[in-house]
Amino acid sequence: MNRFDHELTHALSREEPSPDFTDRVMARVAELQKREKPRKKTDWLRRLAEFFQPPQLKWMKWVAPAAMAVLLLIAGFGVHHRRENERRRLAEIAEGEHAKEQVMLAMRIASAKLNVAQKKVHETAGHEDRGSKIEDRR
Amino acid sequence: MANETRIDQLIERKEGGMQRADDTLSRAKDGDQTAFADLVREHQAMVFSLAHYFSRDRATAEDLAQEVFIHLYLHLVSIESPAHLKFWLRRVTGHRCIDYARKEYKKKTVSVDDAPEPVAPVEFKDSLMTEALRRIVATLPEKPRLVVTLRYQEDLDPTEIAQLLDMPLNTVKSHLRRSLVILREKVTRSLGEIKV
Repeated sequence: MNRFDHELTHALSREEPSPDFTDRVMARVAELQKREKPRKKTDWLRRLAEFFQPPQLKWMKWVAPAAMAVLLLIAGFGVHHRRENERRRLAEIAEGEHAKEQVMLAMRIASAKLNVAQKKVHETAGHEDRGSKIEDRR
Repeated sequence: MANETRIDQLIERKEGGMQRADDTLSRAKDGDQTAFADLVREHQAMVFSLAHYFSRDRATAEDLAQEVFIHLYLHLVSIESPAHLKFWLRRVTGHRCIDYARKEYKKKTVSVDDAPEPVAPVEFKDSLMTEALRRIVATLPEKPRLVVTLRYQEDLDPTEIAQLLDMPLNTVKSHLRRSLVILREKVTRSLGEIKV
């Protein structure tokens, strides 16, 4: 501590208030007690009510907002989950439709090819019939 | 040997004092008015001085101190020990002082630089120095003023002040540093060079 610190400690040393300070405080305390006395008659009732009340904890005031936040979170998750399911279902339907179209196309192609093959078979058979008839006539 | 006996006596006296303070507090908590009056008497100088050096007005300081003790009477059940009582009183006094200063600030505003400097002869005199320091401390902004008062009146270290006022330690330290610079400058200007 340097000299300036000493000066400050000296300058800011404790002082006593006026001599009747305690009496004045006690007079105000007595006034407060007078005002409190009528309440004491119903003290047992208040204590009984307090006994059945849930504990008033500091964190109690956060319970309602926290519960609300949790509910909102659950509701949000529910909506999201439902939307996701719907989207997946629609995607599956679209995929099925696409597959069906592809099968139909494949069948159409196969049918066209079969027609061509059948036509060729018929033509060949026609030629062979005509050839054998000519030979028979001979 | 004699030294050891003296130390033992001192420890015994201190423990006895603590036991008595504990006893007074528990009696006051049980509704004993005499015990509460004893508590007021024991701590009134601390509470009053904090308010006085803060407000620079005896009547205001007494009003503030009375409010603090009435508040104590209403919250006596929450006080756990004599040490907690001291901490509680300092904290509540600090808050009351700041509330008071804010109300006063709305009425009038005086900055540190605009505040009148104490007039004094160049020669060094203890009483003048004391008076000048008190006046200049009273011109500091509210929080630094409280920090300086707690540091030098109550001999609290910056960590304790930080806990008491719910302030970061570095803020307390910077308040102290800056306030000391201002105080030194102002005192030097009004009383002449001080050897530090």
